[in-house]
Amino acid sequence: METSVERVSDSVAVIGLDGELDASNFHGLIDTGQGLYGEGVRTLVLDLTGLEYMASSGIVALHSLALVYRGDAPHDPDSGWEAFHAVQADAESGNRQEQLRLVAPNPAIDTVLDRTGMKQILPIFPDRSAALAG
Amino acid sequence: MRTTAVIVDTTGVMTETLHVESSLEVLAEVRAHIRLVARRLGADEPAVRGLVQAVDEWVTNVTVHGYRGAPGPVDIDVLRDGPDVRVRIRDAAPVFDPATSPAFDPAVPLERRPFGGMGIALIRDMCTTFDHRALPAGGNEVIITRPAATA
Repeated sequence: METSVERVSDSVAVIGLDGELDASNFHGLIDTGQGLYGEGVRTLVLDLTGLEYMASSGIVALHSLALVYRGDAPHDPDSGWEAFHAVQADAESGNRQEQLRLVAPNPAIDTVLDRTGMKQILPIFPDRSAALAG
Repeated sequence: MRTTAVIVDTTGVMTETLHVESSLEVLAEVRAHIRLVARRLGADEPAVRGLVQAVDEWVTNVTVHGYRGAPGPVDIDVLRDGPDVRVRIRDAAPVFDPATSPAFDPAVPLERRPFGGMGIALIRDMCTTFDHRALPAGGNEVIITRPAATA
């Protein structure tokens, strides 16, 4: 998977993802997002336009970043169900994560986001400009 | 090491096989193989996507939890079985029966769901059968099935 980072402002950034997000590279996405948060970014857009596949590991990465951008410590990225529980708990409490935004998941990824409850907590936009406008 | 083969039995059924040594780095190759073979066997795109996701989740499970990151053999057979595409995955890792992993039931309160794998829930969600048996000589066999044509 290739990633590209665009700093829109001091507090806003976009990470573009191209290729496949799986167990071999999801830690790298968490690291990149955490690094941006450490540099002062508080709104992160993940542009999935070029992402062809997302494994359940990718869901763990998304939820870790949602926690980071909410100001919480990320959970253990190898925690499996614990991450799933945390996602569901956020979804059931209506706790949407406006600081982390997704752009244009393909149908397969949209299904994974739906089945794991991520669509209930992360806003999804059709394109990058809509996501930046919020 | 990676090998592929096409086996045709006496009834004319063709099975495409892939052998890999487990590692996170071969997951992309496994997905590409399933994508290619499932399309060749007539699966429509939703079926291809479901099979790719299911196989990827299981092989990841075997790699991370079964072999704990060490290399180990994984054999994947794909064939057309009437209206279905059937995938058989064998490994030599310690026995893990996914039936012991909890089914995803949104009606069960979160705190009462036992620990398990999110990938297993996705496999169950995306395929019509997901059967496991412990191999007599050790290791696991799972059979994942999904109709080639999505309703």
